[in-house]
Amino acid sequence: MDTLNEIPRGWKIFAQVFLILFTMMTLLPLVWMLYSSFKLQGEIMLYPMSLPKEPTVQNYLKAWNIGHMGSSFINSVIYAGISTALTVFLAVAASFSLTKFGYKSSKVYFSIFTLGLLVTVNSVIAPLFIMETRIGLYNTRIGVILPYITFGLPMAILLASSYIKGIPDSLIEAAIIDGANYLQIFWRIILVLSTPVVATIAILSFLRNWNEFVLVFILTSGDHMRSLPVSINSFAGRLNQDYGMQFAALTIGTLPMIMFYIGAHNMIIKGFGEGALKE
Amino acid sequence: MVESSYKRFSYYLLLLPALILYLSIILFPIGMSSVLSLTKWKNFQMVGFIGLGNYVKLFADPGFLRALWNNVQIMLISVLGQIPLGIILAYVLYRKFVKGFKFYEMMIFMPITISSVVVALLWNRIFSPVGIYTYFVKWLTGNPDYVMRISESPYFAMVPLLFVLLWMHTSLYMVMFLANMQRIPKSSLEAAKMDGASESVILWRIVLPALANVIFTSSIFAISGSLKSFDLVFAMTGGGPVDYTNVMSIYLYKHTFTYNNYGYGSAVSLVIVILSVGLISLGRALYGQFQKKFD
Repeated sequence: MDTLNEIPRGWKIFAQVFLILFTMMTLLPLVWMLYSSFKLQGEIMLYPMSLPKEPTVQNYLKAWNIGHMGSSFINSVIYAGISTALTVFLAVAASFSLTKFGYKSSKVYFSIFTLGLLVTVNSVIAPLFIMETRIGLYNTRIGVILPYITFGLPMAILLASSYIKGIPDSLIEAAIIDGANYLQIFWRIILVLSTPVVATIAILSFLRNWNEFVLVFILTSGDHMRSLPVSINSFAGRLNQDYGMQFAALTIGTLPMIMFYIGAHNMIIKGFGEGALKE
Repeated sequence: MVESSYKRFSYYLLLLPALILYLSIILFPIGMSSVLSLTKWKNFQMVGFIGLGNYVKLFADPGFLRALWNNVQIMLISVLGQIPLGIILAYVLYRKFVKGFKFYEMMIFMPITISSVVVALLWNRIFSPVGIYTYFVKWLTGNPDYVMRISESPYFAMVPLLFVLLWMHTSLYMVMFLANMQRIPKSSLEAAKMDGASESVILWRIVLPALANVIFTSSIFAISGSLKSFDLVFAMTGGGPVDYTNVMSIYLYKHTFTYNNYGYGSAVSLVIVILSVGLISLGRALYGQFQKKFD
């Protein structure tokens, strides 16, 4: 029965100030970035805070062309989309086999997978680079997608198994009595019933894959294989003097995800919360 | 037993794709990394085994020790900054001290969707002579010539980076803690309220103990995460000026891909893995002791 009135005034004022401060800290930089991207270099230097007097989209045209952002954008969609779909599918398949078949080896495989939570891209990047160079996967899309999927698997399997464990065994037994085989059960029962956890895993992996930097940066060379974060990073070095163009590039990098966030924030926040519960 | 061999076949058919990927892209490279770390390279060619030579060289290099210290600073800001702030934010939202719960949660969590590279470049602009931060300090101090110099200081160069890390990740902990606070049975809060418990008693006696496990797990992840931080530092400072803001993973990157010494780079990556596993095991052990005391 906690209505607002029962809470001491001091707490309420503190809480209000604290939350407003945090919200401003989040919003101000983004709003400033957005409107500054419509200002030309001279105006940014002279009046850094003011709104654009004569808004222009020139920065966007320049950033788009010089930064090869069109092809980077398409690459990002390909990398994040394909690897998210495959991560989810492989994780659900593996989790079904690890939780519902009752084999002793399952425990071993499961702990091998969860060990992967401790491993990051950085700790395998040198051998991975050498390996991909030797077998001809360096600078190919598949050479990026395979590690994307793999590094998503440990967390995805952790989430999917704890969910699938909760699906009653009786459902599977009934299906077997009705003459279904295990692959049919996977396809018709497990995948269908796992929709909630599939959504969570898909959202977490998509965000992670969309923002991934190191793998594409090291395993590809040249503009035509780059993803959005890598092409934006090029604005840090050689292109860092044109502030307007940089703001435009940053906005191009941010807007799709902010829109995704506005559309799906409930699921995203829930997804992260759930991911945390299972850790 | 046709049935059972078909079952085994299905088992492996479902498991193998994930397992093969995992073995070839995570486990095999780690094994290879440990072998590589014992070798010396020159001009893209391995020139021989040097045993633990790379490790000896590594711990004698002040540049590496500096990077290690910077990682420790990131670790401290994660555990002592992001987690407590995350708890406060979550608690304030959980207890509905203010109206517009959904709005604040949504706004504060937004940076999580932005890539580290974008965050890094955006904050570089904010701290630049034409940025919000500089403008604000000029206005506050009345000094029209103010420029931020802290990033050039050998002692405090990490401060802007630490601040941005705080900005970026605090909300993640907020959401994790909030999700767990909402699982605390309503009845225990109501009972406490009936007994006239104050907000601070509720926070210390009910909410924090119920979250102990989650706080522990997040600290573990914060610690291991802070050893691996790369993107943000790389895009924001590249480890410079000099190596004031260098971290271990950038050190690794430079030695591996700029100087092409895969052996030395692999030694660095193994040190990161060993430190991370070591710290996590230490944390687990300490937490076990801590739990025993309270049981």
